[in-house]
Amino acid sequence: MRDPRQFGTLIGLVLLSAALWILTPHFLTVSNLVNVVEQTSINAIVAVGMTFVILSGGIDLSVGSIVALAGVVLGTSLQAGHPLTVALSLALAAGTACGLGNGALISWGGLPPFIVTLGTMSIARGAALLFTEGRPVSGFAASFRTLAIGRVGFVPAPVIAMAIVYAASHFVLTRTTFGRYVYAIGGNEEATRLSGVAVRFHKTMVYGVSGLMSAMAAVLLTARLNSAQPIAGINYELDAIAATVIGGTSLMGGEGTLGGTLVGALIMGVLRNGLNLLGVSSFLQQIVIGGVIVVAVLLDTVLKRKNRT
Amino acid sequence: MSDGARPPALQMRGIRKTFPGVVALDAVDLTVEAGDVHMLLGENGAGKSTLMKILGGAYRKDAGEILLNGVPVEISSPRDARNLGIRIIYQELNLVPHLSAGENIFLGDLPTRRFPGAIDWSALHDRTARLLTDLGMTLDPRAPVGSLGLAQRQMVEIAKALAASAKASASQAAADDAVPVSRQVKILVMDEPTSALTSKEVTQLFALIERLTARGVSIIYITHRLDEVFRIGRHITVMRDGRHVTTTPVGSVSVPELVRLMANRDLSDHFPKQRVERGAELLRVEGLTVRGVLSDISFSLHAGEVLGISGLLGAGRTELARAVAGADPFDEGRLLVAGAEKRFHSPADAIAHGIGLLPEDRKAQGLVPGLNVARNIALPHGRRLAPFGVLSRRCEAEMAGPVSRELRVKATATQAVRQLSGGNQQKVVLGKWLAGDGRIFIFDEPTRGVDVGAKVEIYNLMNRLTAGGAGIIMISSELPELLGMSDRILVMHRGRIHAELAGAEATEERVLSAALGLAS
Amino acid sequence: MKKTAALALLTAVAASASCNREAPAATGGKPTVALVLKTLNHPFFVDMRRGAQEAADRLGVNLQVQAAEREIDVEKQMQIVENMIQTGIQALVITPSGSREIVSALVKAKNAKVPIVIVDTRVDAKAAADAGVKTETFVGSDNYAGGKLAGDYLVKVTGGKAHVGILEGIPGHETGDSRLRGFRDAVKDAAGVTIVASQPANWERDQGFNVFQNMLQAHPDIDSVFACSDLMALGAVEAIRAAGKTGTIKVIGFDALDDAKKAIAAGTMEASVAQFPSEMGKAAVESAVKVIRGETLPADINVKLALVTKDDVK
Repeated sequence: MRDPRQFGTLIGLVLLSAALWILTPHFLTVSNLVNVVEQTSINAIVAVGMTFVILSGGIDLSVGSIVALAGVVLGTSLQAGHPLTVALSLALAAGTACGLGNGALISWGGLPPFIVTLGTMSIARGAALLFTEGRPVSGFAASFRTLAIGRVGFVPAPVIAMAIVYAASHFVLTRTTFGRYVYAIGGNEEATRLSGVAVRFHKTMVYGVSGLMSAMAAVLLTARLNSAQPIAGINYELDAIAATVIGGTSLMGGEGTLGGTLVGALIMGVLRNGLNLLGVSSFLQQIVIGGVIVVAVLLDTVLKRKNRT
Repeated sequence: MSDGARPPALQMRGIRKTFPGVVALDAVDLTVEAGDVHMLLGENGAGKSTLMKILGGAYRKDAGEILLNGVPVEISSPRDARNLGIRIIYQELNLVPHLSAGENIFLGDLPTRRFPGAIDWSALHDRTARLLTDLGMTLDPRAPVGSLGLAQRQMVEIAKALAASAKASASQAAADDAVPVSRQVKILVMDEPTSALTSKEVTQLFALIERLTARGVSIIYITHRLDEVFRIGRHITVMRDGRHVTTTPVGSVSVPELVRLMANRDLSDHFPKQRVERGAELLRVEGLTVRGVLSDISFSLHAGEVLGISGLLGAGRTELARAVAGADPFDEGRLLVAGAEKRFHSPADAIAHGIGLLPEDRKAQGLVPGLNVARNIALPHGRRLAPFGVLSRRCEAEMAGPVSRELRVKATATQAVRQLSGGNQQKVVLGKWLAGDGRIFIFDEPTRGVDVGAKVEIYNLMNRLTAGGAGIIMISSELPELLGMSDRILVMHRGRIHAELAGAEATEERVLSAALGLAS
Repeated sequence: MKKTAALALLTAVAASASCNREAPAATGGKPTVALVLKTLNHPFFVDMRRGAQEAADRLGVNLQVQAAEREIDVEKQMQIVENMIQTGIQALVITPSGSREIVSALVKAKNAKVPIVIVDTRVDAKAAADAGVKTETFVGSDNYAGGKLAGDYLVKVTGGKAHVGILEGIPGHETGDSRLRGFRDAVKDAAGVTIVASQPANWERDQGFNVFQNMLQAHPDIDSVFACSDLMALGAVEAIRAAGKTGTIKVIGFDALDDAKKAIAAGTMEASVAQFPSEMGKAAVESAVKVIRGETLPADINVKLALVTKDDVK
């Protein structure tokens, strides 16, 4: 938290919330705040994977399609009567496999991440549509929905899932060699290789993490909608990139934190919620959200310039 | 400066600049006469670059004044500096690799035909050719800069700084016989221009400097190579810790005096070489070949010795280092570590066998700029620090602490290495290997861009390593250093080992003639 | 630095808020009704909104209109519903982006005791029953009847002999599925009418163009088209023009959009099934007001359908 930029985003979130508190009485209520965090959880989890990828100097455009594919794998499996644990494992495995495929092509095939994940974006989407013949899959046991509507105290299950994902990922990123290598590869891939780090292996794992996170988001999304849609998750990659970048992670790689990404995702969630509460036209909402992204990155750039002189 | 005399081309008086928490420049003066070659000396972090960035408009000064030909001027942007005839050539070259030399030189000012937008290629190449001839450079104006060697790229950068604008040269062409070098350039700053050049190219550069000064251009020249000071310098200004130490004509100081002024420490022995008894063979290379780059390289390295490798740029020195360290594959040959043949598929394999590489370009290959000192030092040792992948809170700092104390890295463990000076950065790269249990060290240009004090510390470190039973392969373009520190010297020429020199045989002349491919 | 960040955000919010100072809370006794549409970038829903707004103005209702950016984004629609519930709306009028998926959002409305009026697209009856969601009424056209209307007309104008290509909506959408069933049932008994191809074009104009262009490559004998929406039909019209077959292929669409009416007048389209979205919007808001007043409503409120042909647009 010593990074001034991350602090800046946090202050941005607080001020945004303060402004909404002044503008509408509906914002600062327990039920609305719980509501906002719950709505943010899916994007926030996808953004965890995106943060790993962007920190390593890459990009993953396929997350939205992997959400759809993992979702329909989960849905079909549940519909076929498999136990929840089996269905969950299959979905997480499918997402992770897609990610590892991305990673292997990028690391060993030497292809640019943008191209590889663009291809996977189309392939995974097509596979999800083919698999379901384009129709949503639904009709699950009530126990499955606990993942979406269950609560511990007043905290919804998706929020708890998000908290666990963030705590675990933060630990991985800050306290394990894998996390350290993610930063090192993004900061200077050649220097990291010359330091004896298995760069290709770790890069592949990074995309695997991204696929896994997309699959986790798919589980929550499927539970939330009580249906697995092959058209789910369109544009999720853009929301995840936006959350990551607003959170101060450099698109060049090597710099950023998960705390920042969480704040970035919350800023987007609070903004959407607040604009709904205020009754702002949905067209204007898009303009405001786009503006916030640009302003955040602009600040990031300006701050970096100042830090350097 | 008696009355009536011409005012100096440049006077900087009482320049002060602070950064948060640091006084970078404290009342610094610098006076440069027209046609002078003014050597600006000082350790890294002495404030030379900051001073030049103020002159170039990249930084704004906090206090002080700048006068050109006795007239006070305000420089608040690089554009202002340019308009005042000040040109700065930084160490890092700023060229577009896919464009030709001519396009790079006149970028932003490309000659166009009357029909708007269409580039007048013949005019461009003609102008470039005339400019290059005028500067005594032999270069193809059409060659993409990316295909040129480092030295030639530097020539392009210099030509770019000196090129007159298209409009100015058009009017100039009318006035006198089409001299394409801008008459507007009054002050040219060169920041370590020779660090990547071979001695022949250095000679070319110096001839160019002579021609420029004859035209009244003042040169400010930053360097760490003291031999150059005496070859072309006319005046010397020494800076230390953000202050002006002295300004003197070149003839009135000696090398030891100069070193003492810069370092404020008596470095009576420039190269504190300590010989150690030669021990067992650590590494043997047999018939190593990389097609088109290296052919049939064989040598061995023993415990306790420093094996120097010399050669011109492009002779294959760095390629040899990388092949031995597992960074690049090779086509034929064998590597034996402590007598057993090994095959390295990656740098990790080489490291596992105790081989550490200090790469040539520390920014591009040695450091992760955003990570802090401790994390950079610990980077190669993840498996040892965290056998199960989980780093304990302090383990990196505990590993890095003693190393950075030994190397006297002037930074805290939690500082990002990008904020460090060149010398301290190089110490961090060295620290990566000291923290391990390696016995074979390959140092590729270990003292490039490093100040005198840090150089001596690196030499002392090499002594400690060899005394501890390690063997060092040192590649260096600085002959005095190579001669001073090596037990034996291999001289490479066009991908082959052309000569092996040891003891009294190893003289500057013999190494140089071997590097040029002459019989030794 | 932090101040700059804060200022920028604050300005952005203040700017957006000042465009719409009329927050739902500050309505002074007027009941607030939320109208959540699939999207606002489709003329159909723009018309629906207009009808709803007119009714709201007439009845003294404060109408809050929100929509997702993309028609198929049911998760975003669900977020909007959750957020609108927070503002204390008295009734929710919604066109579901997903018949089953929206049930999760409706459960939240039910828990907040907000009555629900469904417009245009039905909620999956079983999913709703399982979740214990009760909707007050459904306002819409009978899509099955509309599809049948189109099919009967096609049989009539072709004299019972036709090779038909069909452009479907997004699979699994109740609206498109019903239209398709109606159409197929109508042409089933005409022995001379064969359906040679049937492909989804996802409700979009450009996909209608591409899909039909491909269809025409595979089946050059196609002489009539039924598209489940006018946007797809208009895409097909362009594909026919590009193939130089204008006038030889009869195109029947659905929705009777302004562009489609122009095409019918110009003879490039044969007919379109007219829905009256502004009527739907109007009826939906009227129903919502009745619910707020405690009146009970019929389970279905049917809005008329009509076939628009050349005779109607002159």
